[in-house]
Amino acid sequence: MIFELMIALTVGAVMFGTGLYGALSQTNLVMIIMGVELILAAALVNLVAFWRYLHPGEPAAQMFVLVVMAVMAVEMAVGFGIAIARFRSRGSVEMEEASELKG
Amino acid sequence: MTSQMIFLVFFGGAAVWFGVTVFRTHSMVRSALALLFSQTAVGLMFLVMQAEFLGVLQIMMMATEMSVMAIFMVMFMMDPGGMGAMDMTHQKRLSLWAGGVGLGAAMAVIWLADWGPPGGNLPETAEQTAELGRELLGRSMFIFQSVGLTILTAMVSATMVAIAPAKEQPK
Amino acid sequence: MLALTLLGPLLAALAILSLRRAPETLALIGAALGFVAALGLFVAASDGVTVGIALPFLPDFPIRLIASPLTATLSLLVATVAAMVLIYATGYMRKDPERARFYGTMLLFVTAMQALVLSGDWITLLAAWEMIGFASYLLIGFWHGRAGVVGAATRAFLYTRTADLGLYTGAFVLIGVAGTSEISVTNATTGTPALIAGLLLLIAAMGKSAQVPLQDWLMRAMAGPTPVSALLHSATLVAAGAILLIRTAPMLPGGALLAIGIVGGITAVVTGLIALAERDLKRLLAASTASQYGLMLVAIGAGAPVAALLHLIAHAAIKSSLFLGAGVFQHDREGTGLDTLAGAGRARPGVFAGFAITALALVGLPPMAAFFSKDAIIAAALGSTAAPWLLPLALAGSVLTGAYMGRALNVLWAGEVGPPQKPVPFMTFGMGVLVALAAGLGFGFGALEHMLGAEIEKPGWIVPAMGLAVGLSGLALGWFIAPARLLGPLLAPARNGFAVAGGMDGLILRPVLSIASACEAFEKRLLAAQIGLIRGFGLGTAHLVDRADGALFAFSLWIGQQSLRLGRATGFTDTNGIDAAIFGLVRRMVAAGAQARRLQSGFIHRELALTAIGTALIMAMLLIAPYYF
Repeated sequence: MIFELMIALTVGAVMFGTGLYGALSQTNLVMIIMGVELILAAALVNLVAFWRYLHPGEPAAQMFVLVVMAVMAVEMAVGFGIAIARFRSRGSVEMEEASELKG
Repeated sequence: MTSQMIFLVFFGGAAVWFGVTVFRTHSMVRSALALLFSQTAVGLMFLVMQAEFLGVLQIMMMATEMSVMAIFMVMFMMDPGGMGAMDMTHQKRLSLWAGGVGLGAAMAVIWLADWGPPGGNLPETAEQTAELGRELLGRSMFIFQSVGLTILTAMVSATMVAIAPAKEQPK
Repeated sequence: MLALTLLGPLLAALAILSLRRAPETLALIGAALGFVAALGLFVAASDGVTVGIALPFLPDFPIRLIASPLTATLSLLVATVAAMVLIYATGYMRKDPERARFYGTMLLFVTAMQALVLSGDWITLLAAWEMIGFASYLLIGFWHGRAGVVGAATRAFLYTRTADLGLYTGAFVLIGVAGTSEISVTNATTGTPALIAGLLLLIAAMGKSAQVPLQDWLMRAMAGPTPVSALLHSATLVAAGAILLIRTAPMLPGGALLAIGIVGGITAVVTGLIALAERDLKRLLAASTASQYGLMLVAIGAGAPVAALLHLIAHAAIKSSLFLGAGVFQHDREGTGLDTLAGAGRARPGVFAGFAITALALVGLPPMAAFFSKDAIIAAALGSTAAPWLLPLALAGSVLTGAYMGRALNVLWAGEVGPPQKPVPFMTFGMGVLVALAAGLGFGFGALEHMLGAEIEKPGWIVPAMGLAVGLSGLALGWFIAPARLLGPLLAPARNGFAVAGGMDGLILRPVLSIASACEAFEKRLLAAQIGLIRGFGLGTAHLVDRADGALFAFSLWIGQQSLRLGRATGFTDTNGIDAAIFGLVRRMVAAGAQARRLQSGFIHRELALTAIGTALIMAMLLIAPYYF
């Protein structure tokens, strides 16, 4: 058993759980984005740990990390775009008030 | 217990602790800063795991990203300082259950799975970065380019969404 | 000396932004320092001394600043126009509460422009290019409280940024091929890399110099203060594109030159038409700027970058003084619409005389500056291998120049003369110097060509005659004939700035938006289908049950009738019991449909939670599946 790998994966798992809790429980759009960022950071930790301890000679794993980082950036950009649009039209980014998607 | 393990535990603990703080504090600015520290700790974990390029990249990217986030926080929050101690959460029980189940499932997979033998030798740092560069501009060129295009599209559309005039303003 | 050119304005900008008092004095000191330094550089360069410094930066790629004859000339031009515009601005911005920010940003902009002009390698050039883009965003958006200003600034920024991709890629192609970032070395590139890099640089220049189809931002950028327009349009921001091409001209192969010439020619004509149709003096001048830069690109395309440089210099003096004049009229009449300004010229004969002199200079009347440079351009177009393409476009551009300047002069002169105006000494001084330059610069061109080592041979009588003829005929057309009659069916599209070819709107934004709306429609349909499915299922079941119920009811009625015969009491309970059961089923079905509908609560957090649960279920199934199959 590779203990370093276990530690890193456990950290990733705890961050994932925290992020999931945050994304589901927060009322504010920006805080939801924070939760998603935590989940993605957990994915990053896992990817780097897999690369380091299981496949150190494989640059594709690092490339994967770059892709996830790009996803984080894109998610931030689009999330804030939506936040600004909501803030301008409603004066708030509280998600309790958002019910346009109601079926 | 190698020094790598000690540092991993230390920075991993910091990442988790700050990650939890994000949702425990009432002040939004504080939670943005906590997220910044959490991401920085993740970057330091990368450094401990000898992925220097990724570690530095993570720290630099997250520093900017989180400062932007803090600004947005102050702009959008009803109560950025957290002075009113308002409750900013809902469906707490469900969320706790979801987070807990996710954590438990991940832990079960992590500790029960057979991860196989450790991989081969770790390349030199300079060699790693050079390999990554060759990967990006060689085999994974297409993926890399698509990511770039995606970011451009996201930027343009986010700007469009943000500057579009708010038509249906409720008076 | 070289460092002072940059440090003078930069330190003044920092001092203004940190002290926040006496911004005018500090700004003028900074501009004066920059001017003196640039003058020193120019004098040194005219003696054949090339000053250069290299600061350590990336390994093998130092930051280089070079004052060759070409760059020193451009630097002096920037410093002169900047100093005059700042003197003018002390009058124009006298009452603005945000003066410190204005002067600070202006000086930052001047610094960046000097860095761009003097840069000796691509990396410095890229950095300076970014800085002028950013500073121009700040300046155009200076009155950010007014309606439409922020949109204009964002638009200018996004347009130029999009085109900057060309500069980045082109510069990296050149650096990659040459192995060094020094511009003078990369200018020796040949073959396919030179063609690719040339076309990419053309894209960058099209963005900055507002060439078709990226011309739209320039007209909107008029939302900024008038001194900003005067500086941006004459010697700095817009000039950056032309300067880039002039500096890389030795490298450009025939294919790239032809593309440059044709883009420039089309721009000269199209933006000339837009200028003729404009109803706002500042926007007219802006369109005219794009048109004149089109003529410069024609000269570069014809293989005569020196002619383009001469026209750039002449145009800088002319266009800045035209803008400054327009600013004076704007002050008088509180607006720049041509209707508002009618007759404003006669109320201020002095300023109008300056405006008219420079307008005639732009049209190309001898012996003023643009006469020589425009002749050089026409001669170059005539002598180039692509003359059948370039010459008609250059001549048409010149006719249109005459026409819109004639129209502007006509509007300013005819019309109601308002009350006499108070004198504006600072504004008049700044403008006067530039007018004098616009009128007299032409006589220095010979010496300048000698200094640059590229003398243009004096053309015969045919070229000046042609230039004069098109200029005068354009002037007459513009003065006597209203643009509506002159343009005919072209008027409406020209007024809209030929929006069909409208650059980024059409190229990127619209596809993105249409994809987004298609996605939205798809999403809506999906939701509707989902709801419809659940509801339809519920209602359908309910309906079936209902019909069965009807049948059963009839049946039970029959039983009831039968049982009536047997006994009234038993019959009654029988009907009642079955009935209740069936209606209960119906009600429960309807309730199930309503329950399913409630899942679509529209609350983001609910749906997020459902997503999480769904993902968990799918993962669980994936994990369990191997054990079953």
